[in-house]
Amino acid sequence: MIVNIESIQTAQPEKSYWRSASQLAGTAKFQEWAHREFPEGASELPEGASRRTLLKFMGATLALAGLTACRRPEEHILPLANGSEDLVPGKPVFYNSVFSMNGISAGVMVETHDGRPTKIEGNPLHPHSLGAASAFAQASILGLYDPDRIAQHTHDGNGVGWDNFVAAVPAAFSGDGAKLRFISQRIGSPTYLRLKAETLAKFPGAKWVEYEALPVDSAREGARIAFGRPVLVNYDFSKAQAILALDFDFLGLDASTILNMRQWADGRRVRGREDGMNRVYAVESQYSITGAMADHRLRMRASDVMGVLQALAVRLGVLPAAGRKFPASERASKFVEVLAKDLSANKGRCVLAVGPRQPAEVHALALLVNEALGNLGVTVTLLPAAEAPSEIAAIKQLAADLNSGAVETLVVLGGNPAYDAPADLNFAAAMAKAKTRIYLGEDQNETAAASNWVLQGANYLETWGDGRGFDGTASIQQPMIQPLFDGKSQIEFLATILAAPATRGYALVRDTWKGQLADEKAWRKAVHDGIIAGTAAVPVTAAVNKAAVTEAIGRASGAPGDDEIELVFVPSSHAYDGRFNNNAWLIEAPDPITKITWDNVALLSQATAGKLGLRTDVRQINISDSSYEAEFISIKRNGAELKIPAIVQPGHADNSITLAMGFGRAKTGQVGEGAGFNVFPLRTSEAPSIALGASVSKTSGSLEIASTQDHGTLTDALRTRSEIVREVTLDEFQKDPHAVQEIAHKVPEFALYENPKYTSEYQWGMTVDLNACIGCNACLVACQSENNIPTVGKEQVLHGREMHWIRLDRYYSGSVEEAELVYQPMACVHCEEAPCENVCPVAATVHGPEGLNEMVYNRCVGTRYCSNNCPYKVRRFNFFNYHDKRLGWMSLGNKAPEIASLQYNPDVTVRMRGIMEKCTYCVQRISHARIQAKTEARSIRDGEIVTACQQTCPTNAITFGNISDPNSAVSKSKALDTNYAVLQELNVKPRTTYLGKLRNPHPELV
Amino acid sequence: MAQTFKKSFDLRLRVFVPLGLLCLGAVALGAIYLGLPSNKDAGYRPEQPVEYSHKLHAGNLGIDCRYCHNTVDRAAFAAVPTTETCMNCHHKVKTNSSKLTLVRESYGKGEAIPWVKVHVLPDYVYFNHQAHVTQGVSCVSCHGRVDQMIKVAQVAPLSMGWCLDCHRNPAPNIRPVEFVTKLDWQPDRPAEEIGRELIAQKGINPPVDCAGCHR
Repeated sequence: MIVNIESIQTAQPEKSYWRSASQLAGTAKFQEWAHREFPEGASELPEGASRRTLLKFMGATLALAGLTACRRPEEHILPLANGSEDLVPGKPVFYNSVFSMNGISAGVMVETHDGRPTKIEGNPLHPHSLGAASAFAQASILGLYDPDRIAQHTHDGNGVGWDNFVAAVPAAFSGDGAKLRFISQRIGSPTYLRLKAETLAKFPGAKWVEYEALPVDSAREGARIAFGRPVLVNYDFSKAQAILALDFDFLGLDASTILNMRQWADGRRVRGREDGMNRVYAVESQYSITGAMADHRLRMRASDVMGVLQALAVRLGVLPAAGRKFPASERASKFVEVLAKDLSANKGRCVLAVGPRQPAEVHALALLVNEALGNLGVTVTLLPAAEAPSEIAAIKQLAADLNSGAVETLVVLGGNPAYDAPADLNFAAAMAKAKTRIYLGEDQNETAAASNWVLQGANYLETWGDGRGFDGTASIQQPMIQPLFDGKSQIEFLATILAAPATRGYALVRDTWKGQLADEKAWRKAVHDGIIAGTAAVPVTAAVNKAAVTEAIGRASGAPGDDEIELVFVPSSHAYDGRFNNNAWLIEAPDPITKITWDNVALLSQATAGKLGLRTDVRQINISDSSYEAEFISIKRNGAELKIPAIVQPGHADNSITLAMGFGRAKTGQVGEGAGFNVFPLRTSEAPSIALGASVSKTSGSLEIASTQDHGTLTDALRTRSEIVREVTLDEFQKDPHAVQEIAHKVPEFALYENPKYTSEYQWGMTVDLNACIGCNACLVACQSENNIPTVGKEQVLHGREMHWIRLDRYYSGSVEEAELVYQPMACVHCEEAPCENVCPVAATVHGPEGLNEMVYNRCVGTRYCSNNCPYKVRRFNFFNYHDKRLGWMSLGNKAPEIASLQYNPDVTVRMRGIMEKCTYCVQRISHARIQAKTEARSIRDGEIVTACQQTCPTNAITFGNISDPNSAVSKSKALDTNYAVLQELNVKPRTTYLGKLRNPHPELV
Repeated sequence: MAQTFKKSFDLRLRVFVPLGLLCLGAVALGAIYLGLPSNKDAGYRPEQPVEYSHKLHAGNLGIDCRYCHNTVDRAAFAAVPTTETCMNCHHKVKTNSSKLTLVRESYGKGEAIPWVKVHVLPDYVYFNHQAHVTQGVSCVSCHGRVDQMIKVAQVAPLSMGWCLDCHRNPAPNIRPVEFVTKLDWQPDRPAEEIGRELIAQKGINPPVDCAGCHR
């Protein structure tokens, strides 16, 4: 058996993939890094404490352990005094509820163990979540157990009871409320809206402002211009063959529902030659998930999107002439030309979708084009909407009222306006002018600090409520647990100030639904299902007023100069707008695009970096620490200056700087403290999304950024074509269905050892569809939640010690300017001939009869040989007791608070220091299914075992099951022509295989 | 320069150091032996907050194990009963017994009785009662003749080797499911024979791989 290595090595790669600029440049340092298991010095304790000191500590611990072991610790069993019929100790119970963000609710199913919620999953009965949950929804459970939550009501800093507040209500809320103002986040809840209306009826002089930092004004205004009345525009991607996303990350942070992601992915599932695919075009400044998934992506300043759209409208004959120009390149002109052709070829089957940051006239013009293409009512659904005032105008008015002394009592119901209101309003200072400032919320934040009544809010898992999806689909929110402290919900607060006869959340919600859910049975069904049937709004029809749209376009300001640098404010994948700033799972989850953790940075293109005099020689990246020295830039606007580290983002538009919100908080918990930079001082009310007129320059200093993009870099053993990610175009696939499998050389299969015999009825395996994976982090957080995976802190991430079992590898291909992107989730692939098993000296990692590569924590002595021998680099080592952060140097504070441990999944061991761990294929779920099947004397059904990652995947990219059953979903998936194994030439026979990515480029743009 | 050590020190070193090491080794071996689960854990008989006698209830009165441990065949834990379960009978029987003071208090206040756990497994072991009981492993196989115990004690070592003995050869401990809680069950032919038949009939195949119990 002779393999001619020589000839293979000389073969030239067709397409090269890279994760970071250093890898692209192929520096010697990078080579060294890639071949290391852990970065240099990873075994050393950070700062001060040497390994010897640790040994001393450990010696002391051992001595104490020896003494205590003499006496058997007494453990107690505390059964309930008064039991509940349905409560079986140790069996999780699942309840449906809703998680709301931006006034839009997503159906969730909450797993509770003996009365404590432990995990959030998607509600399969909810038409918008379809059993999947976003990373934000999943991580929201940490909010419930956040040790930094407001745990007591306070008045002027002194702890008080709720009764004290109730006693103070008559004084603060009296008369007609002319000097009373409310500010809240966006409201979708019917009960909340009902009580809001009742409050405003009782205090007719009062005003209520809804405000969130993520903009909605321009989309609302755009629809109002186009249709002459408020209409809610929504997109149905399931019917679209050609999709144009204009600065709209509908698969990522601008998404309001899982449904859109599923619709998009369902339009791209190619199982055989006859299957077609939708085609996505994206025009955007920053690199977003949607841009990453697009078949054609045009990088363009956000301010130039209007120019592109106008050029397109002219080509389609919708507009006579384009008033706006954009910095046209040959590439851009060709893009517009082909796009126009593709859209006209797909009339009624295409969609132009515009992002929330774009100005109203872009929304209006896109609607006009959509109408001309026959998309209205098909791919663009119009839903009835109520007249809503501009949020920015409303908060501006509120600030003016505060400053003029017209406000005596200000009530802040959730949100954090003192942090995220437009900077020119100087909201925190304005707030101080009100005599009584009442804040009701869960988190210690800037607004709470500026209030004299700080009332602890209830988490959504603690209280009754309701909510509506984007189309009005209503759900009841049910509590999983009594409030851990004395938290009150917003509806309970309003009922209190209304002096309503019943102030309990349950009574309030029942009251709202007394018409529709009068019957106890109907109510129970609604609560149980997590959805109230028949509440979705009926779409309306409307015609676009062309004259109004043309007029609006004429009124719009002109394009900025070609060389002017714009600032674009985007939500952060970690903190969103700041609300998840203290959520360790989200802060440590690597950003889908940049792979940065624990920070926000200014993202810009290589050319812009060069223009600012920043380092563009990407080779200088400090590889030995696996970190990035990002140089600071200074951004001056509106009298404020922001110094923020800048990073070159491949594929970023020139003359545009992307700034993520939500960091640099002055008042937050231990996780968010000191993380990142506050970009809000640059954001003003007249330019809340895209700001011009900033002066940007390089300034002194640099910061180490913890990015995981080079962590766990796989090296091709033969260094030829990519053995790791494989992609072909749809066209190539249709011509040759084996195109994906033929990318790699077939290596003869032979084994050094005798194959292990797998005799069990069940043989577990998995496929991951790279064509559907959008890299959204939902699986990563689900895995963390299910498997008790700790967070480690920025310092430890810098050492390459993050613990996530799923590494969401992001590969770029092509040049730095026009980089394409592909994701590959990588966890233990459960090799049938696992290299890790051969080297473990204590047999702590062994093979099970069902093909699982088992990790036995109680045997592991931490030699790390297994990790060193793992070609996929998927093993994670607990360098410290990350769960029990008692060593004083941890970035997350001194001692793990007890409340945090309430979240743990009791079905999975909590690992301690010195233990290796990795993906187990959710072996606890396999065990449960096996025991259940045995009890019922049957075989495990296909689809009965759903791994945590598979369950929550918004696009159904993951399939898991029994590969020895030819009819199982996973066997069918593995039989597809796009199925391949990563690093197949190593012949380790991984049980997780991948379905190659297909792109669908337009033939004229290839 | 004067010598630090006398010449005789050499001899002492040669004799006493090995002797000392030998002593230490003996002590260590003794400690390890005493610490074996079969010596350390088996026989553990803690005081309980309520003087509850399994001999009286399960033995003399013949109450089925599952009357109180009612989740044993549908969950990992064989639930310790709620106070309500006790009071089902004791609001009629022995209502004034001083031994039941704590039970009545618990029932009245709704507070748990702090029972002391007798059978303690390490946290990384995920034992599942349902999986065993529904396949015909009797309570007596692990817990012994609880119906004869006034105060419950641990009889088996509950060590991994002990678990694996049965997982490798389950036949002696498999009986028809209807006799699972009949602790004094006496088969009319060798139990192992019945066990083998049941194993073949049900396809009982206890896991002996690590992930069977550890995860």
